[in-house]
Amino acid sequence: MKSNGKLKQRFTFSDPERVEQIFSQYSDKKSATLPLLHLAQSQEGYISNSVIENIADLVDCHSAVVMDCVSFYTMLYTKPQGRHIIQVCQTLSCSLNGADALVDHVTDKYEIKPGETMANDRFTLMKVECLGSCGTAPVVQINKEYHEGLSTQKFDKLLESFE
Amino acid sequence: MPLLKIDGKEIEIKSGTTVLQAAEANGIEIPYYCYHPALEIVGSCRMCLVQVEGMPKLQVSCNTFVGDVPPERKVDGKYDMVVDTQNDLVVQERKNILEFLLLNHPLDCPVCDQAGECYLQDYSFKFGNAHSRFDEAKRVRPNEYLGSQIVINHNRCILCSRCVRFTQEISGTSELFVEARGYNSKIAALEDKPLDNLLAGNVADICPVGALLSTDYIHKNRIWNLKEQPSVCQDCSVGCNVDVFSQRDQILRLTPRENHDVNGYFMCDIGRYGFHRFEEIERVTQPMVRNGESFDALNWDKAIEKTADLIKKSNGKTAGIVSPFHTNESNFLLGLMMNGVLGSLPPITKKEITYQSGFRISADRSPNRRGMNNICGEIVADLPSEIKAQAIHGLYILDDGVDRESDDVWKEILAKMDFVVVQTYAMTALARSANIILPGLAPFEREGTITNDRDRVQWLRSSLPKKGESRADWEILMMVMKALDKEEQTFADVGQVIKVMGEKFPAYKGLSFFRLGPHGMSLNGKASG
Repeated sequence: MKSNGKLKQRFTFSDPERVEQIFSQYSDKKSATLPLLHLAQSQEGYISNSVIENIADLVDCHSAVVMDCVSFYTMLYTKPQGRHIIQVCQTLSCSLNGADALVDHVTDKYEIKPGETMANDRFTLMKVECLGSCGTAPVVQINKEYHEGLSTQKFDKLLESFE
Repeated sequence: MPLLKIDGKEIEIKSGTTVLQAAEANGIEIPYYCYHPALEIVGSCRMCLVQVEGMPKLQVSCNTFVGDVPPERKVDGKYDMVVDTQNDLVVQERKNILEFLLLNHPLDCPVCDQAGECYLQDYSFKFGNAHSRFDEAKRVRPNEYLGSQIVINHNRCILCSRCVRFTQEISGTSELFVEARGYNSKIAALEDKPLDNLLAGNVADICPVGALLSTDYIHKNRIWNLKEQPSVCQDCSVGCNVDVFSQRDQILRLTPRENHDVNGYFMCDIGRYGFHRFEEIERVTQPMVRNGESFDALNWDKAIEKTADLIKKSNGKTAGIVSPFHTNESNFLLGLMMNGVLGSLPPITKKEITYQSGFRISADRSPNRRGMNNICGEIVADLPSEIKAQAIHGLYILDDGVDRESDDVWKEILAKMDFVVVQTYAMTALARSANIILPGLAPFEREGTITNDRDRVQWLRSSLPKKGESRADWEILMMVMKALDKEEQTFADVGQVIKVMGEKFPAYKGLSFFRLGPHGMSLNGKASG
């Protein structure tokens, strides 16, 4: 993980009660790692070095162990993401029904390739594996919502509604 | 005790033993990569798969434990487990696993430092296929430095995670982790926390393939060109067992040698890279006598004669300085020769370090202080006042060979002396102040016994040939003693010195290299294998 050279403030959880509650659910401190990572990501938008150090301290292990966990899961981001995350399904049904055209549309219109974020932080584009909604392909997940059976026109209109 | 039948052989084993351990103890070879006796079991490499009767799939033998089963579940009415390690299914499975492990392997054995001691090589030859069916382009990643002394070749890595577990369980520093998952996973270290602890060198040893490499040895030589000699590390009083790999008169690397009574499977980097010190020092290979500001070379006969003359003339007013860096035998002979005041140089101590696993780097950075104290009877603590009290005006010094600034006390002592004889291998500050220099052997050239700080006597074997005209330290002392008419006994070899030493010091009675063997012996009479 690269630090961008800026001296950042040390991360702390804004909701210590929630942290307490997470710990109370497990007999083993280390088990709280994943829920804490999700909590941190919902607060910060991504998992920074500082988050990793903070969680390592909280669960009593080395930061490399937390990093091991973070890097394993694709839904934990180690880089800052845009305000809205567009995840286009790439698996068979969606691919056959024009998922690539959806990706190309975003790339053309907003000038970001898969994995990139717009300069104004509006969108981050990602290609993902099966979202489990093959019957209504192609599927795009924007933030936490599924949008199914999309055509390029519908998709374009949909994107306009996100600021 | 559970009864295990493995390849038709009946074995009674302790409950809780793994199939792999049972097989190993009974001479049945099961190949493995990720298993290491000092580390937690993960069963990730799948190389040790065996067939267990009654189980539908092959089992990883490193993580299959044999225990007592109730009578009605025993196989053939008596076996607690029946294992086959050689049948067609197992043999085919090994081939398949190896094919997977080698998918992205560059097959660069001709330039790989691990070649010759690589388990991928050995097992491929023994159990693998001659060809791979993988036609695609191989995944290629550049090498990376994990720490200042360790470099990783990702293409050779089989992700057994031994190194990761080592940093988590043995050093407790946890620098390494497996980054990402599946096809993208690789061993990594955090950028702000590289693998730079004092046990880091061990990860290159425990790596079963050529992925982790020590920058100190990389591309230096081929392993089969080197002479491997078991010895003992001499950089602290723990006395880790090591193997010295050398070619002609040059050491290329040290690796730890298994000894559960001393160091387990590992050694620290202070000892591992410590041998470079001897490459940098100015060696003394010729007897020398002071001539004004410089030294003149002498031959041995003259040097010994001069030394004996000086000692004789001092009329018993010569003190001996023994050394915790020298073997028991050299210290013993000097004690025998002096028969009077014995002192030693100020000790070299640094911080003691103990790791999570109990691995220890001692504060005392000399290998044989315990032995020196055992063998030399009384070593005076306050040498300056003793020198004054007894009007000592000559010194015979067994030099530590460690270059250090002499403190004021020692400067004062040396200034008072009429003569100083230094027996050393290096031109140290102390040697420069000598009247006569007698060239002895350097640490990896010596042979003898040393005693570690837990009273374990170990056999120090010479790994390098002696340089120039230098002679074994016990031999020099014997020659001086002869010239002094002190001792009529002639020692043919260092073994005889040990014998005589045992007669004077009961704790060392009956010792011999043969009895010490590769793992040494405890002074409390507890021998071990």
